[in-house]
Amino acid sequence: MSDALSDDGSDFNQDGTQEDVMTPAELIAKLEEAWLNEKFSPELLENKSEVVECVMEQLTHMESNLQRVKKGDAKASIHRMEIDRIRYVLSSYLRSRLQKIEKYFPHVLEREKSRGEGEPSLLSPEEFAFAKEYYANTESYLKAVALKRMPSNLQTVDMLKAVPEPCLDSFVFLRVKERQENILVEPETEDQREYVVDLEEGSQHLMRYRTIAPLVSSGAVQLI
Amino acid sequence: MDPSEVEFLAEKELVKIIPNFSLDKVFLIGGDLGPFNPGLPIDVPVWLALNLKQRQKCRIIPPEWMDVEKLEEMRDLERKEDMFTPVPSPYYMELTKLLLNHASDNIPKADEIRTLVKDIWDTRIAKLRLSTDSFISQQEAYAKLDNLTLMEINTIRAFLLDTLNCMYKLRSNVQ
Repeated sequence: MSDALSDDGSDFNQDGTQEDVMTPAELIAKLEEAWLNEKFSPELLENKSEVVECVMEQLTHMESNLQRVKKGDAKASIHRMEIDRIRYVLSSYLRSRLQKIEKYFPHVLEREKSRGEGEPSLLSPEEFAFAKEYYANTESYLKAVALKRMPSNLQTVDMLKAVPEPCLDSFVFLRVKERQENILVEPETEDQREYVVDLEEGSQHLMRYRTIAPLVSSGAVQLI
Repeated sequence: MDPSEVEFLAEKELVKIIPNFSLDKVFLIGGDLGPFNPGLPIDVPVWLALNLKQRQKCRIIPPEWMDVEKLEEMRDLERKEDMFTPVPSPYYMELTKLLLNHASDNIPKADEIRTLVKDIWDTRIAKLRLSTDSFISQQEAYAKLDNLTLMEINTIRAFLLDTLNCMYKLRSNVQ
């Protein structure tokens, strides 16, 4: 007798397009890391669409299993609670990305346009479509409400200048996952000098985002 | 970050329970649990332990550090030292609140433990306030905060980060 809920999700690893096979537990851990990083970083981070897609797959797979099982099963409620928790993290992650896209839309589109061929993309296809629509809607709104009543040589708005850029010099809290040496700390005031610090594994720090931004994308530090 | 989101993260910690029902292995997406046998202790995440406790399907065993003598030692050490001492658990505040609210019948001397943990928390927050004050007034650019827990960081996060960002903007506009 096969129990619909005893499927341990191992068929997930048979997806041929995955290059590095991850257990579902590692996948959820990666999603949570991406969620925290996105929450606390001042700029929009690289798009983690593979993680998002795999998590969605796992969730729909588990939900379809649950549908087949009769109600009131003890295991079903446990699975449902876990699904709710994972769903919360996933929607919170996507929501923070959308908030940042809306806040910095011209800069996000500019970064996406000017990235190199081999570099990972900043926006998923849906997010890209959303950003472009948002841009077009904002432009037409400004035109209809105010710009068309202005003298003709003042009727354009440079969005890149009109919308403030994300402030990469904001301070963030971080925890170190891989040991880093010689991270430059820039001085705040003129009478201070810059100095270097070593970041030990497992330690927590408070510093400017700009210096550690590459470490966040490589996964060497985690924002907390 | 909302304190309830910090609590959400804290609920992933494992805690020992003694179930009064039996269930074979549960294959959750985040890992396997079980099998559950009545009377045999098993580790489960706090979110599950609390749910089972509310449905009266288990007894929760307090974590090792949730003991009056150990907490008294930690409180005295915290009061002596200037720096932050290592914590019993990275989520000690949330776990204390959750476990004492839902399972105080399973935890001996619950009230004393509540008072001790609150004392430890108050001492640490006072130290945090002092060091935040000196950080801002000396306009430092970097701080190491090894033994701070997420909940403590979260209490000053909004204020501290906004202040530092405002000060940076003011400074860079003057130059």
